[in-house]
Amino acid sequence: MESEHHEKSSFWKKNVKSVAGRPSPKRDAKDVRKAPGSTSFQDFQASVSDAWDLDDDEFCVISGLENTKISKKVSQSAALNVLNSHRNTTESESSLDKKSSKKQNIVGLESIKTSRIPGPGRPKPILRINTEQESVENKLERFQTLLESSTDLHELSGLSWSGIPAKVRGITWRLLSGYLPMNIERRNEVLERKRQDYWSLVEKYYYTEHDETNRDIQHQINIDVPRMNPSIPLFQQKTVQIMFERILFIWSIRHPASGYVQGINDLVTPFYIVFLQEFLKNDEPFEKCFVDQLTVEQRKIVEADSFWCLSKFLDSIQDNYVFAQIGIQKKVLQLEELIKRVDETLHKHLKEHNVSYLQFSFRWLNNLLTRELPLRCTIRLWDTYLAENDCFATFQLYVCAAFLLYWKEQLMQQQDFQGLLLLLQNLPTQSWTSSQISLMVAEAYKLKVIFADAPNHLLSNNSGDS
Amino acid sequence: MSSKDDEYDYLFKVVLIGDSGVGKSNLLSRFTRNEFNLESKSTIGVEFATRSIQVDGKTIKAQIWDTAGQERYRAITAAYYRGAVGALLVYDIAKHLTYENVERWLRELRDHADQNIVIMLVGNKSDLRHLRAVLTEEAKAFAERNGLSFIETSALDSTNVDMAFQNILTEIYRIVSQKQIRDPPEGDVIRPQNVEPIDVKPTMNSDGVRKQCCQ
Repeated sequence: MESEHHEKSSFWKKNVKSVAGRPSPKRDAKDVRKAPGSTSFQDFQASVSDAWDLDDDEFCVISGLENTKISKKVSQSAALNVLNSHRNTTESESSLDKKSSKKQNIVGLESIKTSRIPGPGRPKPILRINTEQESVENKLERFQTLLESSTDLHELSGLSWSGIPAKVRGITWRLLSGYLPMNIERRNEVLERKRQDYWSLVEKYYYTEHDETNRDIQHQINIDVPRMNPSIPLFQQKTVQIMFERILFIWSIRHPASGYVQGINDLVTPFYIVFLQEFLKNDEPFEKCFVDQLTVEQRKIVEADSFWCLSKFLDSIQDNYVFAQIGIQKKVLQLEELIKRVDETLHKHLKEHNVSYLQFSFRWLNNLLTRELPLRCTIRLWDTYLAENDCFATFQLYVCAAFLLYWKEQLMQQQDFQGLLLLLQNLPTQSWTSSQISLMVAEAYKLKVIFADAPNHLLSNNSGDS
Repeated sequence: MSSKDDEYDYLFKVVLIGDSGVGKSNLLSRFTRNEFNLESKSTIGVEFATRSIQVDGKTIKAQIWDTAGQERYRAITAAYYRGAVGALLVYDIAKHLTYENVERWLRELRDHADQNIVIMLVGNKSDLRHLRAVLTEEAKAFAERNGLSFIETSALDSTNVDMAFQNILTEIYRIVSQKQIRDPPEGDVIRPQNVEPIDVKPTMNSDGVRKQCCQ
């Protein structure tokens, strides 16, 4: 354990020297290796520039403020305070201040938002979408600054929502999922203990005699794991398959109300890949990497961390997988209600051809769109899901709605049940990149803003009309 | 109702059921697209495909619903039995347990499907000769006792796949066309004329009443 652990902990250790809240010196950032596959900012900007322009952002900021319902007096003085404290303390954010006063203002507003009490269902500031326009390096720097202190979860979520740079994705996911504590001093100790916990669970339950229920579960897992991702060589390796089998089995016995349900295996994958990539060389594609080349300790870390993050992640959507899958059934109905309200034309078109929402959205909800998107997009989508924390279960509904609406044009062209259903089951997302995901979650966010503060929008018809 | 759907004389809804991993999805892809994947992903919930065949000069369109094998999905998949006129109950000839569970699947059909549903027992993976765990005769006898038709198939090497679907669709067709002579076509699950797809209706009413936007 010694050597890898050292390497692992040194990643966080450099923080120990710095004082919490104090930004790190610039040279730290230079030390870090270049993110794999990072493109130039110009490329990135060109790919997303049509989506958001400055005016949009400003509009969003204002509309976001309206939602806060803070009296003008209070908000003005608060804004002044925050602006002042920001000028004095936060160097890192000053890197944003390329456009002087205008940007200063935005930074100030953002701080108000993060400091306000987040009510249930309250929309998060749209401003974070703005961060898409930052350069990749700039964003990475902001992440590193945040991660090197005992940062505030809200701030980290805000920054992560629009995508996390690959280089810091692993640690950020661990923090966002609540697996790793925000308190920097406790991180290493917690990691070590949790990893040990996992492996004693494995000792205790996996390598012992199973009762009948558990034998059934193990049997189902053994059928599903080898056929998870037939086209990716990584998943054909026996070592990888055994790791997945253990993760799923231990998760299953710890969640007897649901147990393993087909599809949960797909939900381990993003975690597994991200944590695996932490041990791969920069340009080594995970698809073809040979897991046995990792040390035993490295593999143990990947497996234990995938397990814990999966557990945290699934906590808020357990009712998706219990008997009769009520969580999903409920969301299917909500999705239908939502589409009926936001796009009646599409809704009528589906109904006219006898397409029911259950027929296509069940898989979307059960597998959180992993079956509909390429793996790289799923990982980007997970950034936003994890940044949503407890609100993720609800947010996912809006993501599904945005996803459906995205295909409206093609769907409207289909003139029969068969054409509609075949399209809905095989949506052509093969060429999608993270920019499509960013657009989709932005759309989902818009829907959420419209509907979150007006819960009646999601009530079914029989609850009374207005 | 629409152009493509007008081209058939009969539309039959058929479900594929059976334990996980017996090859339901591959039977479907072999029949509808002539494709086979040695490791195809597990089916989540229900998936759909379609193919038309000719029987007695009539075009029969099969709307086939492939269901997930895991027990947890029963609540969802059972909804798809409604309106189905045929069921292919699949087991793996190399895995005896999947054959033992056939009785449970029959009970499932009795509870949720139309009582006149035509059921065919399908022993899949017949290419795995050296691993055979279920004797053909045994399964055949079981099928006879329970009034099911029976066939062994291999989605991998295509053996009998078309035959299986052809047989069950023909059987349904015979029943339907005889019935049509006996009594006029109406008010039955089996709809013998050019009609819209038989389909699971959503449980909610969709009268299009819109609530006023409150923001």
